Amino acid sequence: MRSLIAFTKKEFTDQVRSGKVLFLGILFSLFGIMNPAIAKLTPWLMEQMADSLAESGMIVTSVTITALDSWMQFFKNVPMALIAFVLLESSIFTKEFRSGTLILSLTKGLNRYKAVLSKTFTLMMMWTASYWLYFGITYAYTVYYWDNSVVRHLMPSVVFWWVFGLWVISLVVWFSTLRSTNTGVLVGTGGIVLASYLCSMIPKAAKYLPTFLTDGNSLIYGLKEPDEYIAALIVTAAMTLVLLAVSFTIFNKKQL
Amino acid sequence: MDMLRITNLQKRFGDKAVLRGLNLSVPEGCIFGFIGKNGSGKTTTMKTVLGLLKADGGEITVNGEQVVYGQTATNRHIGYLPDVPEFYSFMTAEEYLAFCGEITGLTAAENRQRRTELLELVGLKDEKHRIGGFSRGMKQRLGIAQALLNSPKLLICDEPTSALDPVGRKEILDILLSVREQTTVLFSTHVLSDVERICTDVAFLNNGVVETQGKLSEIKTRFRREEYLLETASDDHLAAIIRAFPSMEKADDNQLVFCEGDASVSDVMRFMANEGISPLRLDRMEPTLESLFMEVTKK
Ligand SMILES: Nc1ncnc2c1ncn2[C@@H]1O[C@H](COP(=O)(O)OP(=O)(O)O)[C@@H](O)[C@H]1O
Ligand SMILES: [Mg+2]
Repeated sequence: MRSLIAFTKKEFTDQVRSGKVLFLGILFSLFGIMNPAIAKLTPWLMEQMADSLAESGMIVTSVTITALDSWMQFFKNVPMALIAFVLLESSIFTKEFRSGTLILSLTKGLNRYKAVLSKTFTLMMMWTASYWLYFGITYAYTVYYWDNSVVRHLMPSVVFWWVFGLWVISLVVWFSTLRSTNTGVLVGTGGIVLASYLCSMIPKAAKYLPTFLTDGNSLIYGLKEPDEYIAALIVTAAMTLVLLAVSFTIFNKKQL
Repeated sequence: MDMLRITNLQKRFGDKAVLRGLNLSVPEGCIFGFIGKNGSGKTTTMKTVLGLLKADGGEITVNGEQVVYGQTATNRHIGYLPDVPEFYSFMTAEEYLAFCGEITGLTAAENRQRRTELLELVGLKDEKHRIGGFSRGMKQRLGIAQALLNSPKLLICDEPTSALDPVGRKEILDILLSVREQTTVLFSTHVLSDVERICTDVAFLNNGVVETQGKLSEIKTRFRREEYLLETASDDHLAAIIRAFPSMEKADDNQLVFCEGDASVSDVMRFMANEGISPLRLDRMEPTLESLFMEVTKK
């Protein structure tokens, strides 16, 4: 237990001293502010463009912005934030493979599963903190400017997206135990997410796939009920757990 | 008892057989020089001992216990310094040793005491900078400190001196000498003068097997050929001697090398006395490790 704590402490020290905490904090805050800001600016932007649009024959009627527009921006921007997160954090294993730092910890008697556990925990905590910061900022501005009661099922929609992020992290961990280079991890993770996205084009499969959880808009507009996400949620959670379990076993036998 | 014993170790990478039935035994309490050319398989052997590489065949025991690949319990007896040691660059030397101590399971008090002692031993006591800014020599010294942290019975260092300048090299060798009382040391190298300086035992690795191993002094005796070097004042004298003893070879200007077997020293001296040739020098040559290594590996 002490070695697990020591290793996890080391991971967080790394996150802080390498500036990742600061970087993610700033990035997710900016994204968080952007959502209500863009929503707020939309009428003004429309007005600016109205003249030129009118010349080309389009009539711009005045638009009403609601909290829904801010949350739509939230779901539109969160993939970018997740991609930035993955790009920044995906080398958490591979950089130690490359430098050989992990070998020293392992030869000191650290159990291999503890290294995987610490790093997984660190990634999930970082994602959780960044994501809820992003949410918190958007939420604060949105309730300040608009009436948030028009938004249906806000909590489920954002929790689902957070779970989707955890699933992506389990992919990063899994590919880290399979591959030795950062590129390998990114290609693998990106490949699976893309595959899930492509498969969701098949109507019958869509609601069982992790990517289904990213459809927050249907929830906030009340087009879907949270119940409809349960299948995807179970599949995603199960997959996350299985991927992590498999990662422990693979890593035990990995040649370092 | 042997601290480390390797029997018939085999390892291949793809179709390249790197170790082909390597046998090695490292007695307790020695400083063991593991000598081999670049790419001969020294690192491979060490990593297999640490359970970091899976052997294709053979058996390894450390302190009498068998080494298992993957979860390697025998590593609690071992301190390891890799060939290019890298540490978490965002930590200071002291933080890193504290971290290692926690991983190894030292109590807080032991941890504090050991790391103070070791930082002193390797001369990093007053170093407050982060490891990211360390020189190679400093990293090697920190590497030895971390390897010694849990008072291992066996210290394995992979080419600890190869990348260092003469000062850094001497510092490392002195540290290795000074820990000899507490631990058995196995270090690999291709620098023979280092071996000559501190080793009690050596093994030569060549073509995937250990060609020769044993006490350095015994090996030197075993390979000692009765070889002499004779130097005279002029080449004419040498020519006269060679005419009388055709098996002799000219080594350099005014110098001859010969073996007792080819021409007995007393015959040569008698001949020189008769001819009125006085030697400038007559030496019995000690075999150097270099010549031993060449001899062992030329097969
Ligand atoms: N992971 C690997 N994959 C393929 N070949 C390897 C690997 N590691 C080492 N080798 C090969 O094995 C041989 C021995 O390497 P090594 O043990 O590092 O030698 P040394 O440490 O004596 O210089 C070299 O020819 C090297 O190319
Ligand atoms: Mg090597």
